[in-house]
Amino acid sequence: MSSTTFKSTGKTEMRLDMATWLNAWQSLRDRNHETVLLDGDGMKLTALLMNCSTGSMVAIETPVPSLPSPSRMPAQPSHLGMQDTLIAEQWLANGSPSLAWKTPELPPVRGKGLFTYPLGPVRADVSESLYYELTVMGDEIIRLNLNPGFKRRHIREWVRGRTIDEAMPIISRFTTTSNVHHTLAMALAVEDAWNLPIAMEVHETRTLLAELERAESHLGDLALLAVSTGLPVPQMEYLHLKETLLRVNSRLFGHRYLRDSIVPGGLDSTLWPGGVHPRHEATVVARVRDEAARIADGLMRTSSFLDRLHGAGTVPKDTISAMRPVGPIGRASGRAFDVRTVRSYAAYLDADLRIPVEQNADAYARFRIRVRELDESLSLIQRMLGAWTPPAVASTPRGLGVPVRGHGVGIVEAPRGMLAYRLQVDSSGRIGHLGVATPSQRNWPTLPSAMANGNILQDFPIVDASFALSVAGWDG
Amino acid sequence: MYYWHWLRHILRAPDTSGYPTEPDAAVAAMANPDAIGRLAPPQGTFPRRAAALRHIDGGSCNGCEAELGLLASPDYDLSRYGFSFTPSPKHADLLVVTGVITPSMAPIIQAVYEQMGHPKRVIALGSCAIDGWVFRGAPEVLGSLDGIVPVTVAIAGCPPTPGDILRGLLTAVDGMAPESLREGNSK
Repeated sequence: MSSTTFKSTGKTEMRLDMATWLNAWQSLRDRNHETVLLDGDGMKLTALLMNCSTGSMVAIETPVPSLPSPSRMPAQPSHLGMQDTLIAEQWLANGSPSLAWKTPELPPVRGKGLFTYPLGPVRADVSESLYYELTVMGDEIIRLNLNPGFKRRHIREWVRGRTIDEAMPIISRFTTTSNVHHTLAMALAVEDAWNLPIAMEVHETRTLLAELERAESHLGDLALLAVSTGLPVPQMEYLHLKETLLRVNSRLFGHRYLRDSIVPGGLDSTLWPGGVHPRHEATVVARVRDEAARIADGLMRTSSFLDRLHGAGTVPKDTISAMRPVGPIGRASGRAFDVRTVRSYAAYLDADLRIPVEQNADAYARFRIRVRELDESLSLIQRMLGAWTPPAVASTPRGLGVPVRGHGVGIVEAPRGMLAYRLQVDSSGRIGHLGVATPSQRNWPTLPSAMANGNILQDFPIVDASFALSVAGWDG
Repeated sequence: MYYWHWLRHILRAPDTSGYPTEPDAAVAAMANPDAIGRLAPPQGTFPRRAAALRHIDGGSCNGCEAELGLLASPDYDLSRYGFSFTPSPKHADLLVVTGVITPSMAPIIQAVYEQMGHPKRVIALGSCAIDGWVFRGAPEVLGSLDGIVPVTVAIAGCPPTPGDILRGLLTAVDGMAPESLREGNSK
């Protein structure tokens, strides 16, 4: 066993044999460590863990001679990256179920009166492609199987061998509704590997960008939840607020989804329009905040809304302890875990965030968490815009040069939860391997057990909307 | 409490933009004038209004879906032009395809197109559906609807703004740019 400590990030790396590796993982998890990323790279399995109180990282590696090589994979080409991770997860689930994230294979449900209700990949209105297989008895949902993989873009493999500048546009399109957080996590990983210093005003602007994205994402999720219970008025009001924020984004940063503003090493102001009025935008945000609070207050007094949400889609306790959901879903299940406070990045150390936690793990708890996070986020944006001027970053240095280290890690709290990038670069600065753990990838497996937990078919859209996960982030 | 809310809404100007058939500086500022590309002239007659849309995600990043979802918002309100979303392909007049087009989704897109009644038109929404955009050449990415379904109108953008999407939808239905329908302009 060899161990190296990197001072700058408080990161420890260990190479272990398989049995020791599993024991180390288990004992780290018992000692308040959270698994951030399970990454299979060639013949090597890496588990990256974070200390939940200090935010320090531990990476434990093990060689895996028994992993099938990519060339022996069935016709599906080139999953290097995602496929390795899936194999690793499958392998872990077989060998040591207590360590796995992936749901174990469930035996098929059979019997009289059971009906399989196939849904997707083409389903109602505007939605992403995912195939749900619901098994119902009468109205009650007995089981849900999720079949993803209709929209794989093989992003992890597609960025291999590219320079960081070439990879950034692809990373930004991992999930556009979280593109600020994807590029920020990648930028943090690059800055870790290249050991780049970042100015405070850059940190502040990044925080502003990240919170604008969180607020807009939560408003969209709340609109979906409102309409899933058949309430178009709050849906339309939330959508109007979302559009209002998107126009603020466009006026301040030149793109409705804030694309291309964050680059490794700093910010890129190419798209930013000149002559912005941050103080005026702060009053717009203040109005959005008041309106959002009023709509949420109205919903919390609407009995038809509350009746549908209370107790719907409760995540079972076993699922919470095994899968450890992240983000709003985790915080609605009693897990007070938020990367912004555990392992502060950008300017969150000074942000004085209050992290809401709910215990009931049902759709109502998730609604309340989103409402409170939205308010917290909008109040932070309002405060920041009151004192913000666009930093002078017109000429961003391009061409990063030679990396200081061969690897870097970037972890952020995306709107849907913890998002981690683990980057390995060769000596010329090209990407050798990119491990990405998205919050959707991690939270989707908690949906089936929450769905098959005393809900009826009519609850399905409500539970689905209360999770508000992205398929693009799962398929990758 | 809601009565006051209604009253206020009666007294206040609507949030809804008139764009693209009326000028709106705020929406036009976000739009891309070159977003609309017509690939094929519309074939035959077409119901000019009340077109039902069916959307399919062929491997998108969720950006086009987010903007498409905002078409129903009070700010754009696609129903003022008679558009609506329909869950069933059999009720649909316009097929809106987003994303890079993966091999898993290609036969599904084809099946949905065949299920739609005549007349029907296809809109490729977003730069990914047009040429694969940054994913052109990526493993298992087709990057184009060529040979899968015939495309009438392509709306470029990453993602295209709701204003651009409305312009594209109207172009697909009318066969002409919606700006030409503005009052005072001859048709």
